[in-house]
Amino acid sequence: MKKIFFILIIFSSANLFAQGGQIKGKVISDKAQPIIGANVIVLGTNFGAAANETGFFEIYNLPYGKYTLQISSIGYEKKTVSVTISEKPASLTIVLRETVIETEQIIVSAGKYEQKIQDLTVSTVVIQPDVITRKNYQTFDEMLRHVPGVQMTLEQPSIRGSSGYSRGAGARVLVAINGIPIYSGDTGDIVWEMIPIADIERVEVIKGPASSLYGSTAIGGVINIITKSVVKNPITNFRTYIGGYDNPAYKLWNWSKSFREFYGVELTHSNSYENLGYTISLKKFDNNGYRKNDYFKRYITYAKLNYSFSQNNYLTFFFNFLNQNRGNFLYWSDLRENALIDTSSLGNIVKSNRFLSGLIYHHHFNSSFSAELKTSLYRTKFEGYGKEYTASTATLIRGEAFTNYKFSNSFLLTSGVEASYAKVKSNIFKNPFFSNAGAYAQTELKITPELIATIGLRYDFIKLDTIPGKGAFTPRAGLNFKLTKDFILRSSIGTGFRAPTPAEVFTSAAVGGGISVKENPNLTSEKSISFEAGANYFYSQNLFFDLAFYQTDYDNFIEPNLTKEGDIQFINLSRARIQGVELITDWSIIPAELQLSAGYNYMWSRDIEHNKAMKYRPRNILYAQVRYSPAPFDFGIDFRYWSKVEEIDFALTQPPLVLIPDGDKRVQVYVADVMVGYNFLVTSLPAKIYLNIKNIFNYNYIEFIGNIAPIRNASFSLELFF
Amino acid sequence: MTLKNFLFFLPIFISLLFISCDGGIEPATEPLGAAGFSGKVTFNGSWPIGVKRTHLVVFKNEIKTADDFFIPNLSFVSDSIPYNSKEYFYKSIESPYSAIFKLVPGSYSYLVVAQSYTPLITFERKDWFVVGVYCEGGDQNRIKKLLLEPGKITEGVDIIVNFRNPPPQPPGAN
Repeated sequence: MKKIFFILIIFSSANLFAQGGQIKGKVISDKAQPIIGANVIVLGTNFGAAANETGFFEIYNLPYGKYTLQISSIGYEKKTVSVTISEKPASLTIVLRETVIETEQIIVSAGKYEQKIQDLTVSTVVIQPDVITRKNYQTFDEMLRHVPGVQMTLEQPSIRGSSGYSRGAGARVLVAINGIPIYSGDTGDIVWEMIPIADIERVEVIKGPASSLYGSTAIGGVINIITKSVVKNPITNFRTYIGGYDNPAYKLWNWSKSFREFYGVELTHSNSYENLGYTISLKKFDNNGYRKNDYFKRYITYAKLNYSFSQNNYLTFFFNFLNQNRGNFLYWSDLRENALIDTSSLGNIVKSNRFLSGLIYHHHFNSSFSAELKTSLYRTKFEGYGKEYTASTATLIRGEAFTNYKFSNSFLLTSGVEASYAKVKSNIFKNPFFSNAGAYAQTELKITPELIATIGLRYDFIKLDTIPGKGAFTPRAGLNFKLTKDFILRSSIGTGFRAPTPAEVFTSAAVGGGISVKENPNLTSEKSISFEAGANYFYSQNLFFDLAFYQTDYDNFIEPNLTKEGDIQFINLSRARIQGVELITDWSIIPAELQLSAGYNYMWSRDIEHNKAMKYRPRNILYAQVRYSPAPFDFGIDFRYWSKVEEIDFALTQPPLVLIPDGDKRVQVYVADVMVGYNFLVTSLPAKIYLNIKNIFNYNYIEFIGNIAPIRNASFSLELFF
Repeated sequence: MTLKNFLFFLPIFISLLFISCDGGIEPATEPLGAAGFSGKVTFNGSWPIGVKRTHLVVFKNEIKTADDFFIPNLSFVSDSIPYNSKEYFYKSIESPYSAIFKLVPGSYSYLVVAQSYTPLITFERKDWFVVGVYCEGGDQNRIKKLLLEPGKITEGVDIIVNFRNPPPQPPGAN
């Protein structure tokens, strides 16, 4: 009897095991990187697993049947997959997509310490970089054209109307790589090509003045680019694209008989040996331009080394070198047959070399105290060849040290000092030097679990060559209140200031097109006070809203102006005010498959002294994106709308000067882009392809007077991972 | 929110896209830069001693204050008229400054002959004095507007300068 009972047990056990199925697979990102720790849950059961360091997971002993797996990881879109369990083990490759606009991710830049976005007191957007490759953006600024609250006028960014257009002379948005600013020492402009697109982990956009932590240039906001962490497995990324511009919408404008193509190739490799991680990237991209003499040829080299002394103490060094030759299109000659030709600048070219290097040392003393040291060297050189020879070389050295001290779980203090020095050698900006020293402190106080208060203060002293030095205090305060887990209120009040750049003060040269710029040694710093009140609301896990009201008052706002002599000169407007409301929504209609993102911004900007609108600031801006990605396909439509800009540089466009004939022609902007992609990763082939058609309806518009924006163009891109 | 809701919003989105079918900025229809004028300046009386420059100049708007005497209001400057001239025939298209000051069709409020004692051109109001003005029937108090039509050269834009009876000076003179 015992024998029979034993045999029965053995038999039934064997039967039980035989009915237990197995799922195994790999969870990878859409860049073929294993997603370590990704959660794999069998919905409706207690079964589940986490991906190991190679992204591999296994689930055993699942009873036969049909199941739904849910795969998730922070920073990636949640995905569900149907699977049938039978005797044969199910094998899956699951590709998770990085979230396009994150709402719950940890960010670092707002307070110079790690902070959850829902704890912030200012409007912030986090963007994942895969959008750059999917949409085949050639430079970083193209991506910003689709970020709510950000407006690009040619290459100059404006956050909530902070800037008009001054052809690169002076920026009101600080762009930084890992917190290291990348504005040039002479003009103070941002060279977008310097941003290492292949090594971006995420991009944080802080809307509103951040001078209390970042100083002068951050009066309008901060765009902080965080580069990738060290990889544990070697990865090589090869990306190439080729595309071309369509014919202009009107035959009259068709100036070229040849195909206007653009193409690029980029190779990036990352690996690590024990404590040393590295990334190297080589890139070449050329664009023949849709306008005459509007071409560019660029070579970029980027390298990053990261040495970890221990888990939390590390040293990061990076450098970026850009060599560029480009034409120098300024304005159309007229809006008849020369809409895409600037006859006055034909043959004018600009050659430039730019070198940026940064060193970051992070030391974690204990769980309450950490410190970071950042130094950078940014050397820029350009030479303009044409009717007049222009040249400028600027060297900017910068150093910063800051600490984070956590007195308790509810009280954190961030404080630091910063200094920079720039030396300019130029035949148009003279040879000025520029120095800045600042000190700052900011506290975060968790008054209750629902209420967070921040208070900050910064002092800067700025000296621009022979002009007497000036100091500025920039305090700020903010509140964050979680009414419920899904409904968060925020409010902040902050001051900002911006010192004039050497280019704004000392430029004395013909800039082409019959226009000369005149120096203004009396130019003084501008100041601002800004207020914001906002709320974000998670209607459900898949639907998110953010609403913000904002107002910024400027004193001594710096703008280019036409003088009595007909020259351009930067002057201080006495007062200006910008008010607005911004609404953003993200809606995952079908999670991980169908998504709608939209942002609307109404902005009322006034030059109070002259009671007129501020230049180049549209009242209404609407961005909308739909993405449908049933694996392995990927479809997207982007739409942009700006209302017609009210105020421009009329003095340049109207009689009697008419320096830019028909320059006052401007329209509201409607631009639609379409993207189609196929992801071979699902079939285990590490490749992705995309077809992008930009400005698909070939709509003719301008962002700045006399400059038709890019006409319809199509590109094909291929991305491979090894 | 469901797919059904999305389908409700989809037509709105597509409508927005199709608005883009409007072509936006179009080529300008009017020919540019073809407008101009010509005429004669007659000088009566003796030229002031020491005058270095004499030009025919056109202002878009009237000179109501000294601030209106500035380049953005300046539409045309002739070549320098030789000292002691009795008659000076001109065509606007022949001005050496026509590349800088572009005349376009429209109305111009103030056309004068102005003189200066400075050897170089300056844009300071105090450096200039008006000796003749384009006016109605010889009455220098009735300033006549210059009208330029597209593609046409307006002829007969004559000015008589009488050094013994200069016209009223615009504001801003010493």
